Amino acid sequence: MYQPPSLLEKWIQENNELVNKCKQQEAGGGVVSRDHSQSSLRWCSSEFHKLLRKIQGIPPHVDHTQLELAVVCNTCVCFTAQSQFSEAELLLKEATERVLQMTGNNADTSDPLVLWRAVLKSAGNTALHPHVLYLLCLQWTLWLAKCQLENIGELQEMTSLCETVCDGVGDGSPSEAKRRLAKSPLLVMDPKRLTELLQICTSIAQGAEKLNEGRSSEALSDLQAASTMPATRALVAYTHLLSGSCLAHMNRPQMALQCYKKALETDSRCVCALYRSMLIYRQLGNTQAEIQALRLLHSTLMLPPASEPVLGGIHPISPSLLLSSQSLSRLFSVPSALSVLYSLALKCVLSGRVTEGVEHYLDLLAALHSEDQHAVKVDAEVSVLPRMLELYLEAGTALLITRRPADCMALCNEVISTTLELVPEKVVLEEPEERIGGDARGLSVEGEDKVAMLLWAAAAYLLQGHCHAHLKDWKQAVTHYTRCINLVVKVRLKNRDFQPQIPAADVNVKHGKDLCALQRMKGLSLAWRGISFTQMDQLREALRDLQLSLQAFPDYTGAGLWCGEVLWRLGRKHEAAACWEKTWSLTTQTSVEKLPLYLQDPQSGPLLDSVELRLRIQELGLT
Amino acid sequence: ISSDRKHSETVGALLRTISFNCKRAPGTNDNEGSELIFCSLSFEREGNTFLKAADGAAVISRKRLAHVDIVKCKSVTDAQKRATAPCVLVIKKSEKRSSFQYSLLTLSSSNRLEPCVEFKLPYQMKGDVYILQGPTVLWRHEGGVLYTSPQAEGVRQVPIHFSHCVVGELPLHKGQVFVLGLQKLPEESTSQTLGYFVEDGQVFDGSVILPHLYISITQCILVVAADRVDGVLKCDVVAATSNRQLVYFENGVVKDVCQLPFEQPENIQLVNTGKYGCLFAVSFREGHVCTIWKETFQVAAFWSSVSSIHVDDFLGCGTDQMLLVFKDRVIALEEFLITDLCGISFSDTEAPKTSPPPSENYLLTLKALESRLQSGLTVLQELRREVTVKESVLRQSVKALTDVVSEREPVLTQHEQALDDKIHDIPAASSKPRIDKLWHRTTEDTGQCSRPAVVQTQSQMFWLPAPCYSPSSSSSSSFSASTFPEPPAKKSKQHNANSTNDLNACRVAVTAVTKLTPLLNSGRVKCHVMLHYIQTPDAFSLMSNQRPVILTILFLFCPDEVREDFLSLLAVLDHWVFHIDSPEYSLGDINGWIQKRVGCKKIEVSPQYLLLNSSGPSALMLLNWHQITPFQGELHVHSSQLQMFQFLESLLAYLPESCSIQPLKSAGGQGASKMFALALEKELRLKEKCFGNKETPDAGSVEGLQKCREMCQKDLERSNMKLSPLVDVGQYRRLIQSMSKVQLNGDLAALLDIQFSPLMCSSGFHG
Repeated sequence: MYQPPSLLEKWIQENNELVNKCKQQEAGGGVVSRDHSQSSLRWCSSEFHKLLRKIQGIPPHVDHTQLELAVVCNTCVCFTAQSQFSEAELLLKEATERVLQMTGNNADTSDPLVLWRAVLKSAGNTALHPHVLYLLCLQWTLWLAKCQLENIGELQEMTSLCETVCDGVGDGSPSEAKRRLAKSPLLVMDPKRLTELLQICTSIAQGAEKLNEGRSSEALSDLQAASTMPATRALVAYTHLLSGSCLAHMNRPQMALQCYKKALETDSRCVCALYRSMLIYRQLGNTQAEIQALRLLHSTLMLPPASEPVLGGIHPISPSLLLSSQSLSRLFSVPSALSVLYSLALKCVLSGRVTEGVEHYLDLLAALHSEDQHAVKVDAEVSVLPRMLELYLEAGTALLITRRPADCMALCNEVISTTLELVPEKVVLEEPEERIGGDARGLSVEGEDKVAMLLWAAAAYLLQGHCHAHLKDWKQAVTHYTRCINLVVKVRLKNRDFQPQIPAADVNVKHGKDLCALQRMKGLSLAWRGISFTQMDQLREALRDLQLSLQAFPDYTGAGLWCGEVLWRLGRKHEAAACWEKTWSLTTQTSVEKLPLYLQDPQSGPLLDSVELRLRIQELGLT
Repeated sequence: ISSDRKHSETVGALLRTISFNCKRAPGTNDNEGSELIFCSLSFEREGNTFLKAADGAAVISRKRLAHVDIVKCKSVTDAQKRATAPCVLVIKKSEKRSSFQYSLLTLSSSNRLEPCVEFKLPYQMKGDVYILQGPTVLWRHEGGVLYTSPQAEGVRQVPIHFSHCVVGELPLHKGQVFVLGLQKLPEESTSQTLGYFVEDGQVFDGSVILPHLYISITQCILVVAADRVDGVLKCDVVAATSNRQLVYFENGVVKDVCQLPFEQPENIQLVNTGKYGCLFAVSFREGHVCTIWKETFQVAAFWSSVSSIHVDDFLGCGTDQMLLVFKDRVIALEEFLITDLCGISFSDTEAPKTSPPPSENYLLTLKALESRLQSGLTVLQELRREVTVKESVLRQSVKALTDVVSEREPVLTQHEQALDDKIHDIPAASSKPRIDKLWHRTTEDTGQCSRPAVVQTQSQMFWLPAPCYSPSSSSSSSFSASTFPEPPAKKSKQHNANSTNDLNACRVAVTAVTKLTPLLNSGRVKCHVMLHYIQTPDAFSLMSNQRPVILTILFLFCPDEVREDFLSLLAVLDHWVFHIDSPEYSLGDINGWIQKRVGCKKIEVSPQYLLLNSSGPSALMLLNWHQITPFQGELHVHSSQLQMFQFLESLLAYLPESCSIQPLKSAGGQGASKMFALALEKELRLKEKCFGNKETPDAGSVEGLQKCREMCQKDLERSNMKLSPLVDVGQYRRLIQSMSKVQLNGDLAALLDIQFSPLMCSSGFHG
């Protein structure tokens, strides 16, 4: 006789159909767009919730408690996957209360840990035990997602129950599986996979916390243990990545590099490992490796953004949900593709691979113009990208070094045409120490901008002067140097005793940098005008300029040497010698790295050979 | 709205609101009677008020001390007149309170109260009283359900004893009142749901209306639609449960649920607002009302402090409205609200305001979606059909596969049948062939033969289980072939022995333990073993030929017995190698998982191997897991084929889903060994042919054998004395050529065998 399926069987069927639909999303492959999977997830969770309400509408009975708990778990998983943590928490709370009701216990406590312990005890050896364990795992998931690691720590002894979860819900023997399948409700997420995911994510999160607190060796052992746990490639790569960070913190750069390499071998999309390797190469001074790493980093960042990788078994909860704490975000942060390109360009130029550097600068400029910027996680601390006009100037400098003065001049013209209207007539820079009170910002933002405009315009003229010097067009060079000087002198300093150094107090770094730049520019422009005059045999003007330059910026050896040269040509040989001696005795050498590229000593143009000069002095001594 | 609260009741009917009240009428003379007065009000839209349309009275009792009260009033359909009329049930209590007279009166269209049914009860109705179509009055008393109607002729009782019941009626045109309840079954401890139609006494299965589990928690129901299809009742029902849910059932299946904001539901009414859909108005005790949209099953609105709710077309516009009365007087209603939640709203306090109706787009979209659904459904049905076809194909393939796998079992069984009882007690000492002596001759690098040495060795000989399919492999200590467990009845197919030769039908393994030093004295050892087999009378008929046959030669260098056993196991069991690749998910501790399985232990002599001794007759399995990267590994399995498949199945359940298992090598090692054996056999035959042109003495007896030996010895002595026999050059050349060819083949076969042998790879030379 035909027995229509009972209410329970129908509900089990409904649950299983929903689970299969959910799983189809995963099987559909990683090509599914984010929106599509989100909307289907939303649908699944509302359907599960509806089913749960239906099941909870009939009086509680031990027969269908298993079904109810299974549906609670499924609904909870769907809610959690959509970051609806409070709804999921509510579900869990209701479920635990119902279990306690069922088993006849009452827990009148609001402390969640005590409550869970009571629930586990009451479920005891009943058939509900594996389901209650699964509920606990879901609670664990929520704590992890909300970064409440302390609760997890409290229940660490419960993690030994993880194995019980895996065993209890199936030991893999086929006959049992077949028996179970027919009549029992399916689960959206395999409890074993969930437990594995939770274990490794907890280890990663705890490791990150410890690392941030400075306990890197403890963190390291945690993370090493985590790397052997079964998990997706991305997660295993994270454990290696964080191990590397620990080792870097413990001052073991080589071992850190090994870890980063392992991370990349495990997951080729672990961009952060590449970034951190680059930082280590930089720290070790291995320029070639650093440049290589920067190049790789840039090309990886420029790859089309990967769709959410196939989650394989841990669908629908994505690990990024569970690894969202602040410390982790900091540890996983990566600069934007464009700032990487900039670092690459600059490094190339500074390390002598100037042609490559030029190419990179031009690529950078093209990319900025087309506004084709990828939305990579950009951390303000980590991304360093100067303003457009500065990039022009740096590119121009690089072009000049590669003997492309025409291109350099074109860029400089761009800069000038953009800034000239905005350059103020007069700028007054005040000493920061004179400020009373807290407003140590110096100028307003607007004012700072004005200074910047002026600096850039002046730098553009300076570069153009250099270009002409390169082409040996001394008259033009003088013209441009003059324009630069005219701009620079517009800046009046209130305090005469200002030293052209970056103030150590760091009160206004930019302010100090600007002043330093200004001084240097003054020195360079005057010196090179002088040099140009020298080439045109206008020695008196040359001497005046060179002496002014030395006054403004005594540290410029070029000026010193040429000053001597001019003196020599004017016949004042002893003064020349003295000048040279003084120049050679200068030991200060501001770090080249800290200066903007365009304010460095140009490598083209006439140079003086110190050896030859020494010979002259010797001759002088002899005569 | 309980009936004993006040004396007046209101009911909505005939586009009017009718108020009933019991009053003591000023009697004639000294008789004060009680009379039932009614007042019919109609709603005046412009004035936003109710105006009296008609009124009247009916005398209930002329006795002064009679206590008259209204029990309930409701507007129901009269079955005979086929019209809806308000009915009121009035109770007249006698002075002594010993009997109670009930009368049901209806208000006719000519505004006259007419008595319909009158009955007397020895008790007062307590609990729920229902006035249903018919009109029928139904109530519960002492666990039974009683009813009366004009057709019923008196008070009747429902013959079934219900432990919990629900009263409902099928919609108008079906006109049937039913009682649904749980009846305890005497034999079992469960109860079943039964339904009883009051008009004809028909009993039916109640689960077509409500599922079993819901009866005990249902407070009230409303049948939305009902139909009889092939004699089976199909209906859509909404029920309000004590779990604060409104549940929609379709043919006894839960379709949707909605959480209700209040407890203790008492009544459900259907409000048809026309093109905007339908509403369910649920009224609760304590004066709450909640309305739920039928289409979306979401709460539309709710009110509290409602004294009564009525559904009718009060405005005369063709659709229903709800009249919510918050406070009323006899003549008019003081506080009220008329609304259909779709634009119509009139209340006493405010000027009529029209709230915006739900957007029409909603319904249009629904219709469009519905038609799309239909077309989608047909596509789905087609796909389903395809799926069933595919499933049946799959099923057939699986069946075929299992047949193939188990196909050879009948061979075993057949084989067993042939051997019959003789095999049962293997090993029987008498059935074991005996080895007298074992000769070995080593060939050195130069190709010269050394003296044949007759070595007395400890040797054993035993039967091997038939290859590749036997579940009965040997135990670890001695290769006593165990009993074949398959029942004789299991031979389903005749296995033709012509595909494989006799050699395969029964295999013999010989282990010989000998001193290693003579073997190692020469640079490279190639040891030929000639097995001379003598059939003793009680041996099996199968081993009939007396030709020396070399079957499988494996060199086992083992210093101790345990290792010998282990290596023998490895040699005997079929060997598979699998490459497991998990591209997305790391594998974790596979070794640990294997070790956790029941009956698993490590092998001391070779700890990377694990021995699984699961239940079942001699179901031994050797496993070796070698992890290459966290995502790849190699698994060596030594076991029978069925066991191997079983193990792989359980392994697959444990492994991550995106894993793939690739076989690297099948049990083909046998093939290589066989080739090697055949090649050596050829070589031997050739040598026999070349050198054995003397008469071979009959080797069937000890003397003959002795003669053979002596001849061999003589030959060697001669060769030692450099008295080589004269040989024709051409013949010699041909001989050497064929010898070298055969030896080359033999060497090649040996090489192939060595490559695939796990022993050489893993064990190496242990001195």
